[in-house]
Order: sequence, then structure tokens, then C-alpha cells
Amino acid sequence: MIEIDSLTKRRAGKPVLDGVSLRGAEAGVTVLVGASGSGKSTLLRCMNGLEIFEGGTITIAGHRLAAGGQSIAALDDLRRDVGMVFQQFNLFPHLSVLDNVMLAPRVVAKVPVEEARCRAVDLLDRVGLSAFVAARPATLSGGQQQRVAIARALAMRPRVMLFDEPTSALDPTMTSEVLDVILDLAKAGQTMVVVTHDHGFAKRAATWVVELAAGRIVRQGTAAAMLG
Amino acid sequence: MIGFRPAIATLACLAAVAASWAIAAELDEIQSRGELVWAADQEGGGPHVFPDPSDPRRLVGFEVEFAELLAGELGVKARFQQGQWDRLPLLLDQTADCVINGIELTPERRRDYGCSRPYFGYALQMVGRRAAPPAMLADLAEAGPAGAWRVGVLTGSAAEIEMRARAARGEAQVEVIGYDGTLDSMEQVQSGVLDAAVLDDCIVTFYADRFAALRNVDRPFAGGLYTVLTSHRTPKLAAAIDGAIGRLIADGRLKKLYDRWDLAGRQQMLMLRDAAEIPVARGRTLGELVRQTLPLLLSSAGMTVLLSCAAFPLAVAAGLAVAVGRLHGPAWLRPLLTGYVEVLRGTPLMLQLYAIFFLLPKIGLALPALVAAIIGLALNYSAYESEIYRAGLKAVPLGQFEAALSLGLTKWQALRHVLVPQAVRIVMPPVTSDFIALFKDTSVCSAITVIELTKRYSVLALSTGRIVELAVVTAVLYLCMSWPLAVLSRWFESRLDRPAGGGQ
Ligand SMILES: Nc1ncnc2c1ncn2[C@@H]1O[C@H](COP(=O)(O)OP(=O)(O)OP(=O)(O)O)[C@@H](O)[C@H]1O
Ligand SMILES: [Mg+2]
Repeated sequence: MIEIDSLTKRRAGKPVLDGVSLRGAEAGVTVLVGASGSGKSTLLRCMNGLEIFEGGTITIAGHRLAAGGQSIAALDDLRRDVGMVFQQFNLFPHLSVLDNVMLAPRVVAKVPVEEARCRAVDLLDRVGLSAFVAARPATLSGGQQQRVAIARALAMRPRVMLFDEPTSALDPTMTSEVLDVILDLAKAGQTMVVVTHDHGFAKRAATWVVELAAGRIVRQGTAAAMLG
Repeated sequence: MIGFRPAIATLACLAAVAASWAIAAELDEIQSRGELVWAADQEGGGPHVFPDPSDPRRLVGFEVEFAELLAGELGVKARFQQGQWDRLPLLLDQTADCVINGIELTPERRRDYGCSRPYFGYALQMVGRRAAPPAMLADLAEAGPAGAWRVGVLTGSAAEIEMRARAARGEAQVEVIGYDGTLDSMEQVQSGVLDAAVLDDCIVTFYADRFAALRNVDRPFAGGLYTVLTSHRTPKLAAAIDGAIGRLIADGRLKKLYDRWDLAGRQQMLMLRDAAEIPVARGRTLGELVRQTLPLLLSSAGMTVLLSCAAFPLAVAAGLAVAVGRLHGPAWLRPLLTGYVEVLRGTPLMLQLYAIFFLLPKIGLALPALVAAIIGLALNYSAYESEIYRAGLKAVPLGQFEAALSLGLTKWQALRHVLVPQAVRIVMPPVTSDFIALFKDTSVCSAITVIELTKRYSVLALSTGRIVELAVVTAVLYLCMSWPLAVLSRWFESRLDRPAGGGQ
């Protein structure tokens, strides 16, 4: 599902990712760990076409990303299949919770309103927020907002979900609300890549663990091998 | 001039002695005598007092007729008394009741004599030979071809005082030469003895035919007012003369007199009139004023509303498009849009309206004034709105754009559904205040013949003279319009604050 071959990415002349090759991340949950500044977010953003990289290739959910950027059409295709959840949620503040979830299916996939609404309500129910469909994002707690963001990404039925430290902006109770949702997704067979510092989560969910340091993969292996 | 003062003092002493038996008559004496004796110098010439060329025994001149009118008002006949012009005031202690002969009203004369209210206004005019220097008054600041300019004046005249003062202040390099006869100085200029002469403008005009070789140098300058001199001892006479002049001015007889003498009667009246003599028009009550002007003001207010409500949505739409184009459009488009904004922001709205209304027809595109006004306002404001929207779009966090892209939205979809709606909310306050600004800027459209509220106000204020009352009515109308606009924009704001309902 995800294959990365000698990926190189520079920022201001300095390599941020330096020959990253990743193979074992098949269907399942790949957990990305590493010190701050090691390049985890950058790697994730490359996988969603939010960053242009200088060398190597990424193959993800059947899309092949080449160095130097992709065509707009290729990117639009890629992003339908690869969803992303950000550390800072990035919910659309001018839309209700329901409309946040319905936006992409309506605009991108041209799903009819009723169907999009049903799908959105189902997803919000799945993340435990069916009571908040009409609310404004700003009125929700951080954990609730992140769960809306997850529902919003799921609404496009992505084959791969990318999570960039989805709980690091949250306090412990809210963290577990969100992690429970992600664990449920994993159990349901959703392929995902999760950047996290949460050892417990990694242990419970990871099928493959990759450790980055200074833009290079220093270790990778099964959860059992990596986390002991 | 030095020996002159003791001479005047001596004469004044003699006059004081003479006063004990003189006939400086008060009004009641004059009326019982049946004659007003007025003093002048017929050598002074036209158009004041001079012998009739066809019958030299008769005196004519506008002051002769004025004296007759004045005497008539006092109920008596006028009798002329000849005197040497610069000594005419001394006659007040002798045989004359008053002096009427181009006597300028000065602070000194007001101190020394009874001075009537002015009956004539004059300016000083310099004359020179045709095609000879000086060409301008300002040329006198530097010496002429043969040293200081030689300038002739009538002794004791305002021209003499003015020219000597200028020479003393160093403003004019002139040698001032005084003559006893009014026309002497002009003769001397014509014969080449003098470079120029300075006289009252009415004299120059009157004798223009006789001195065909002379021309006016520059425009009239300085100038003053003529007064009727009386003695301080005859206050009732002075008051009666003032009253008489007032009546002659008010009923138009003085104006007719001046018009007959080609002395610009209307201008004279404007100079001489007291507000009190202008008949007070019957006042319109506030109710009448409002009833008569309100329909016009209302229809023009409608024009103001039409202009604003048509132009602003266009301006906002164009401004938004320009802002998006500058931030996200193709590279070749961005400098063009920047140019568009800078040209429209950097040139006055008035000029843009002129260009659209008056210049476009030259390339075959004639727009009706209203359409030109709406387009002009919309274009001008689109530049300002685009800057506001550009700032608003930049204020939306980058994460919003990335989140939209990661959901599969294209750049344009992200703009349409995520960035622009948020920018619109962010810029609501400045855009609202721009709407009110445009609302007021519609008044500029009067420059291209569109009559909106402000224009209508100034026309009505001018024609009715009720500047203050109409200003209040106009201001109330503006408020009546801008208030709902403010309420409406607040309503929009509150509506945008709520999440959009239902689906997309
Ligand atoms: N917008 C940027 N401009 C320049 N340098 C950047 C930018 N974002 C990240 N970097 C640099 O790239 C390197 C990798 O950053 P990245 O955000 O991928 O690290 P990370 O592993 O996600 O760290 P963290 O755990 O703190 O999120 C760091 O050295 C960082 O300073
Ligand atoms: Mg990071």
C-alpha cells in the first residue's frame, strides 16, 4: 500500500529527509516515531502531496508520486484516496460540524445532498458526536474537534489515512477519546500512518514501526520487535 | 511738501477766526435758505465736474447730478461753489455747506470733518505711452531705462499718497511729480516728459479718447471710496446727507445716474449698499421651505441610494476577483492586476468619472451619465475592496487551505468554499465602512451631470439662501439612508456569524 524509495527533501538547502526508503508498511497501522525535528511531519506531508520533494519516489494507495511535484489532476486524485488529520484539527470555522464533514463529498465527489448527509451523520455517530451535528467547531472541546476532523477525512473513504500527532494538542482524557476512535478504525482494517509519541497506542495498534532521526530511517520493524 | 504744513496751519488759524462769522450752515438754515452750497473744482474735469463742451456756461458731471439729487432730498436747490481742489475742505468754514468732488474717505478726513457714507467707489489706474515701458506695475520695482520712473499725479490725491508711500517703502523706484490739474499728468505722459501717470480709473476711462497715444498699464489697483465732506459743526446736515444717500441707493436713482455716465452702476451699488437697504424678501416659513424642497431632495436621495446600491456590489465582486487573481492567478496576470489596483487607487475618482463620461465617447463608447457614474464608482471602489480582500484572504490560516486540499478540493474549490467565505467574514467591518464611504462619495458624480442629494442641496441652498435649514434637512436624509445601511450590514454580519444551514 505504501512504498517509499530513497526520498530526499531539502529545506533552505539543508536535507530534511535524506534517502528515506520504507517498505514494510503494508495494510495496517504504521507508526512513525522520532525526536522533534527529525522529519516525521515532512514525510507525512510528502505522502499527501502537500510538500514537493527533490529525489526519490512515493507509491501510495496505487498513486505514484515523482520528485519535483505532480500534476494538479494527479494530486486531486491522490488526495481522494489519502486522507489527513492534522495536529491542529484545521476544522472549517464557518461551517457547522455536519457541513465540515459533508463538504468534500459534495464538492469533490459530487455525492447527492441526502446521501452525503446520511454518510456524515453515520460518521459523526461513529466518532461519538451525533449530538453535535449542528454545532460550530469553535464550541467543541479539542478532543471533539479532532474526532470531527477524523470523520471529515473518512467521509471521502480514503484508502490511507495519515495522522500527524493527532493527540499532542490534547489533554489525557481527550487523548484517549481520540485514540479510541483511531484504534476502532485500525480494527476495522483502515490502512493508516500515525505519527505519535504515545508509546501505549503504538504498542496496541502498530503493525509496523519506523523510527526517524535527522531525516533518516534508523530502525524499522514490527511493533513487537521495535517496542519490545 | 515741507513748507506746506505751516501754510495749512496758518490757513487753519485764519479759518478758525473766520468761523465766528462764517456761514457753515446747519440743516435748518439751509432749508430756510432753500439752497445747498456744494464746493468742487471744475478744473478737476470729467467725469466729476466740468463745463459742458457744447455750452461752457453750464456745469455737467456725475457729481453735479449727484449734488442736485442730494439737494432735492433735503428739499432745497443745489448751488455750485468753485474752489481749488486741494483746498476745498477749507471752504466748509467759509461759504460751502459741503464738498462733493472725488474726496476719498480716509481716517484723517473722518477725524477732521464730517464724512458721509460713501457715494462712489474708484480704483487707481496707471497709464503710460503705447509701446513704451513700464509694461506692468511690477516693472516699477526696478529703475527704468533712464533711472527712476517719472510718475505724475494730482497733488493731494489718493494717487499721490499711494505712489509716495510705495516709493518710501522702496517698492517702487519712482519720482512722484504732483500737478494741480487732473489732466496735466496725462498730457505730460503723452508729450514724453513723464513715464506714467496715476489717476482715478473713472477719469482715465472718461478721457481715453482724448489721449489716444496712452494705454492702461496693468489693471486698476488700490482705490477707495468718495465721501461728501461737511463740517463737524453741522451734524444734522451730515445725518441728513447720509439719509439722502441711503435713499438714492435704495431706490435705484444713484445706480441710474452712474449707468447714464457709464460708471458701472451695478458694481457701484454692490460696493456702496448697506445690508439694511436691501429690501428684505418675505420670509418663507420652515414648513413652506420643507414642503417646497423636500420632493426634490427626496428624489435626489433616491439617486444617491441607486448609485450606492448599484455600484457597491459590483465593486465588491470585482474587488474579490482581483484579490483572488493577484494571490492565486497565473503569474502573467498578477502584475496586470497590481497595475489595475494602483492606477485606480492612485488617481482621483473625479478624474476617473471624467474619463469614463467624457473620454470614452471619443472612442465611440458613449455611456449615459448614470451608467458612467455606477461604473466609475464600482471601478474605483473595486481597487480598495481588492486590497481589503487580499488582506482578508491572507489572514485565513494556511492550515485551512491545506486541510481543504488534503480533502481533495482543488485550489479553486478551496478558495470558493473555504478561503473566500472566511475572508468575507474577516473583512466585514472594513467593507461595511467602505460602503458608507462610497455612499458619501456618490456626491462626486455631480461632476458628470448626475444630480444626487449633495448637488441638489447646494443648488437649492443657493437659490433659496436657506443654507442652514436645508443642510439640516439634507443631513437628516443622509442619516435616514445610512442608518438602515448600517443596520443591514450588521444583519449580514450576524447572519454570516452563524453556520450555513443544511448542506452545501
Ligand atoms: N516551514 C518550514 N520551513 C523551514 N523549515 C522547516 C519548516 N517546517 C519544518 N522545518 C524543518 O524541517 C525539519 C523537519 O521538520 P518536521 O516538522 O518534519 O519535524 P517533526 O519530526 O515533525 O518534528 P515534531 O516532532 O516537532 O513535529 C526541522 O528541522 C524543521 O526545523
Ligand atoms: Mg511534526
